[in-house]
Amino acid sequence: MIDHMSALFTLGNMQFLLRGAGMTLLLTMIGCTAGLFGGFLLAYARGSKGTLTAPLRWGATAFVEIFRRIPFLVTLFLVLYTAQMIVPRAPLFWVAVVSICLLCSAYMAEIVRSGMESVPAPQIEAAEVMNFSRWRITWMIVLPQAWKVILPSAVSYMVMFVKDTALASQAGVFELMFAGKALANRGLDPFLVFATVLFAYFVISWPLARFGRWLEAQLARRTHEGDRR
Amino acid sequence: MNYSLQFGQIAADVPYILSGAWPTLWITFVTFFVAAALGLFIAMVRLKGGPLASRLAGIWVTLTTNSPLFVVLFFLFNGLPNWGILLSPIAATLIAFIAISSGYLAEIQRGGIQSVRQAELDAAETLGMSRLQILRFVIAPHVIKTTYPALSNFFIFTMLGTSMASLVGVNELTGRAIEVSSRTFRSIEVFSLVAVTYVVLSLFASAALALVGRWLFRVKARMI
Repeated sequence: MIDHMSALFTLGNMQFLLRGAGMTLLLTMIGCTAGLFGGFLLAYARGSKGTLTAPLRWGATAFVEIFRRIPFLVTLFLVLYTAQMIVPRAPLFWVAVVSICLLCSAYMAEIVRSGMESVPAPQIEAAEVMNFSRWRITWMIVLPQAWKVILPSAVSYMVMFVKDTALASQAGVFELMFAGKALANRGLDPFLVFATVLFAYFVISWPLARFGRWLEAQLARRTHEGDRR
Repeated sequence: MNYSLQFGQIAADVPYILSGAWPTLWITFVTFFVAAALGLFIAMVRLKGGPLASRLAGIWVTLTTNSPLFVVLFFLFNGLPNWGILLSPIAATLIAFIAISSGYLAEIQRGGIQSVRQAELDAAETLGMSRLQILRFVIAPHVIKTTYPALSNFFIFTMLGTSMASLVGVNELTGRAIEVSSRTFRSIEVFSLVAVTYVVLSLFASAALALVGRWLFRVKARMI
C-alpha cells in the first residue's frame, strides 16, 4: 500500500494529473461559453413567430430535442467518426470541442428559453404595442431580467457538465480522466489512481456547486429587495 | 473523403443492436426506482433524522452529486479488483448508477417534502387526520405534484446515462454498437442508428411520463 502510494504521488505524476485537470476545466469553459451563445441563438430562433422563419424555428426545435436525447457518449463517437471521414487524422481535441458545443448548446437552449419565458408577458406585449422590434425587445427588456434566472441554472448545468467531460477520455482526448487511465495503464495501482481522480473531480465540482447555490441565493435576495422597493 | 455510407453491410446486425434497448431499459428502470426509494430514505433522514444521521446523509449527497458517474464506474470496475473485490460489469454498473442517482434523487425529493406548508399539516391535524392519512392525502400528493417534472427529467437523464455502462462491458444499446462497429467498421452507420434509437426511446419515455403524470397525478407537463 505504502509502495503504491509513493509510486503514485510523485511530483511528475501529480503535474500530469494537474495538466489533465486544466484540460477538463478548459473543455468545460469552452463548452459552457459556446453553449450559452449557441443556446441563446437557438432559443431566439425557437421563439420567432412569422411564417418565413418557420423552417428556422423547426430546425432549432429539432436540434435541441435531438441533441438532448442522444447520450453524450454516442454524440462523441458520431462526431469522432464523422470527423475522421471528412478530415483524415482529425485532431481529437477539436472532436471533443465540437461534440461538447453541440451538447451544451442544446441544453443551454432550454435553460435560456425558460429564463426568457419567466419575463411577464404584459411587458413584452406593451413593447410590441410600441412597435419595438423583436431583437430590441429581447435585448432591452427580456435579457436584463432573464439573466437572473438563466445564470444559476447555467452554473448548475456546468457543475453537471464538468463531470460529463470525463467521457471525452473515451475518444482519446487528454483530460483528467485520460490522465488517470494513462497512469493506471503504466502499472500504478488503479484503486489509488481512480480514487485520486475522483477526489480531483470533487475538488473541481464542489466549490462550483457551492458557488452556484450562493449565486442563486444572492440573486433571489436581490430580486425580492427589488420587489419591495 | 473516400468513405461512403453503406447501411446494407450492417443490415444483418440491426435486430441485434436494436434489442440492446432491453438491457438499456431494464437498467434504467432498476436504477431509477431503487435510487428513488433510497433517495426518499436519505431525504427523510436528512430532514427528520438525528444530528449525526442527517449530517451523514448530507455528506452522502455532497459526495455523490459531485462525483462523475463514469469515474465511479471505472473505480468500481478497475480499481476494486486490486483489493480483492471483483465485480461483474452489471454489478458495477448498478452499484455506481444507484449510488450516484440516489444523491440527486434525494435532493429532488427533499425539495418536494420541504415545500409542503406547515399550515396544510396543521389543518390536516385539526381535521383529526391520522399520521398515515396526512402522509397519504396531504404530503404524498403535494410532493408528487411538485417533484414530478424533475423526476421525469431525471428518468430520461438516467436512460441516456446508461450508455456509460458499455464502457465496462455491459452489452446494452451502446455496447452492442461498439461491438458491431469494431467488427464491421461501419461506425457512422451503427452509431447513427443507435442515436436515432435513443431519440425514439426517450421521446416515447417522455410522452409516457407526461401521460402518467396527467392521468394519475394531474400534473400538467409538456409532452416534449
